[in-house]
Amino acid sequence: MKKLLVMVAALSLVVAGSAFAAGGNTGCGLGTLIFKDTQNQSTLVQIVAVTTNGTLGNQTFGISSGTSECVQPKTVVRNERLNEFVQANLDELARDISAGKGETLSTVAELLGVPSAQRDAFNRNLQAHFQQIFPAPGVEFAHVVDTIVSVSNQG
Amino acid sequence: MRLHGARPFFFFPLLLLFLLPSTAWPGTDGYLSELKETAARRRLQDDRYWDILLFYKPAAGGRGSLIDDPKFFLALDGKRDPGAELSATLDAMFDNSLSPPVRCRFPARFEWLTETLPIDPARLPAPECPVLDNTLRAINPKSASLIFASGHMNAPASMFGHTFLRLDSAYESPLLSYAVNYAATINPKDSGISYAFKGIFGFYPGYYSILPYYEKVREYASMEQRDLWEYRTNLTEAEVRRMVLHVLEMQGIHADYYFLDENCSYDLLFLLEAARPSVTLTDRHKGFFVAPIETLRSVLAEGLIDNVVFRPSTARTIRHKAAGARDREVDLAKALASGNAAPSTIVDGTLPAEGQARALDLAADYTQYLYLKREIPKDAYQGRYLGILSVRSKVGGPPPTSRPLPVPAPPESGHLVSRASLAAGARDGRPFLEAAYRPAYHSLEDPAEGFNDGSQIIFSDAAVRWYPRDEKVRLQRWDLIDIVSFAPRDALFHPVSWKVRTGFATRDFPGSVEALVYELNPGGGFSWKVSPLGIAYFLMETDLAVSGRYDRSFAFGMGGSAGIARQVSDRLGVLARARYVHGVLGDREQGRRFTASMMVPLRLSRNRSLVLEGEHVEGPSVHAGTIRFTWNANF
Repeated sequence: MKKLLVMVAALSLVVAGSAFAAGGNTGCGLGTLIFKDTQNQSTLVQIVAVTTNGTLGNQTFGISSGTSECVQPKTVVRNERLNEFVQANLDELARDISAGKGETLSTVAELLGVPSAQRDAFNRNLQAHFQQIFPAPGVEFAHVVDTIVSVSNQG
Repeated sequence: MRLHGARPFFFFPLLLLFLLPSTAWPGTDGYLSELKETAARRRLQDDRYWDILLFYKPAAGGRGSLIDDPKFFLALDGKRDPGAELSATLDAMFDNSLSPPVRCRFPARFEWLTETLPIDPARLPAPECPVLDNTLRAINPKSASLIFASGHMNAPASMFGHTFLRLDSAYESPLLSYAVNYAATINPKDSGISYAFKGIFGFYPGYYSILPYYEKVREYASMEQRDLWEYRTNLTEAEVRRMVLHVLEMQGIHADYYFLDENCSYDLLFLLEAARPSVTLTDRHKGFFVAPIETLRSVLAEGLIDNVVFRPSTARTIRHKAAGARDREVDLAKALASGNAAPSTIVDGTLPAEGQARALDLAADYTQYLYLKREIPKDAYQGRYLGILSVRSKVGGPPPTSRPLPVPAPPESGHLVSRASLAAGARDGRPFLEAAYRPAYHSLEDPAEGFNDGSQIIFSDAAVRWYPRDEKVRLQRWDLIDIVSFAPRDALFHPVSWKVRTGFATRDFPGSVEALVYELNPGGGFSWKVSPLGIAYFLMETDLAVSGRYDRSFAFGMGGSAGIARQVSDRLGVLARARYVHGVLGDREQGRRFTASMMVPLRLSRNRSLVLEGEHVEGPSVHAGTIRFTWNANF
């Protein structure tokens, strides 16, 4: 009985936070930038932050996030906006390229200046070269940018 | 000028400079005093735009600024003296020794005074502002949107929503826009209680921030599973530019953040007024609580919005994809995401290419969802995610066409959140009349449109009941907080449903005595969408009641409740439930109670509804049936 009591009490208190868990990392590859602002926060703090619209991270004026901690693309013409976007959205970009469609992919196409008439061909081309663009789980963003640029120049 | 001993002098580095002799632009003394005279004659310090830029609002003995940061003011008493602030700003504009110069630090003030007075640019110092110029170039603002983040399905407290602005550039993709957010910067080391206290009473500083919009999309749509509503404003490029200049002068400036009124939504209204001063937004909100949805309604009422775009949360997208896929495809997607099947098995099977694409697309989304919930470690995620995508790229083709995702009713279509009720009823044949009021927010029996299904959050709902026969008026109940979250479980999502209720309620005691007791009643369990019943739920509950009438002054019980919540049509709903609590500690005899109730809410209009309710309570000193007919008005 006692055990059940503790269980119910704990359950009713913890459930609110079941959607939020802690931990995190940053880096240059897949699955790295996602947890930026919530890493290492307790569940309770995250719940109250959500409730009152507080911020946990150091959210100030992040006009430019910078990619300096990562290996940089070799692409001759540096496109800082493209680099930042790809680094920060690598997982979503991989998904869109594999499916040949998506908002992240069309954003990259726009940043590369692909005319809208050629977008379908661009998408199909990247989809066909998915293996080259994302060769291994440890792939980093610089390789992704370089390969997208070289593949789309060929295509 | 008054010098306050309480304020350390080093807070005013700019003012120190004023004390140095002759730093003004050479030969402008006459022109500067001429401008000051013009400003005084035209009473520019009382101009609406000056009020907007400096956040002045009527205060005791004149006007005061809502900004609490001394760095925001150039005059010592600028927080309370708009005239002194304007005069000090003019001084500073002609002071070429300031670092950073006014043009770079307070560009909106600088431009407004220059244009309004007007000031001859040739006679004004023109310092370079490389940081400002670079920022403006990076943002490249052309238009703006107001973004409303709706409530998190399983966190009813987030039902209040959140608003922020988006600065749209010449880019077509909104992901390349920047978001302007106003939020309290909280100290994660504080405990929950002190957090709540500090949040409500303004102990946390509120700051504006600018972040890439994709980060906000990830935060709300992917991490917190909240839908985003993007309201495109009709602000012109010039108006948006003015607003951005104002945002930039707010960099690093704090105001005390009050969760209830001076909050994220309210402070954004100042920015919209800075863009288009002809609209009245901040003065529409004078209440104790400014809900984000109310600020959205003001913005809509002022005609600032042209159209709205819905951006579903990841969970909503996944549910929609699963609903459009065959059961076998969903099972496969689940197996791939949880690592129980290799992606290659999908192409060996008998699924047609379209089915393979559907299963793999769903598997990719679901894998990422599980990773975001930290149910998969990073190493496993990288390999599994990439494995699924790699096979997907070989299947080829775009995602198979499917039914478009149904867009729910927009948040502004929901009822207003304050509610007054009148009810007539009878308890055990004794007729009564009842009046009730609650300031916020939404209960299960309220019209559901524009709110999350199965979510309830009630703040301070009080009811007074009058029994004409015995001419007694009594406080029947006062629910301080009553939260319910029924989050249905399905093949892919396994949320926990929960409730917590605390407040005062009337209970029965031996000898037909009714008395007010304090109650605390949390519970947790599961719910499912069961056709045709609607949401069916089961919760384990504990129930603590405190009153001098109990043996040992309290009764603690444990038990459970089960019920259904169903929206029969747009107008009609049904809520039925049964609940049993068994006395465990304290007054165990009186702690035992069984309740069964049924409610039938009928929506008359957006803000009017009727509720017919029957309830039976069975306990050691009560066998009572109550029937009640309620008229609710939201406002």
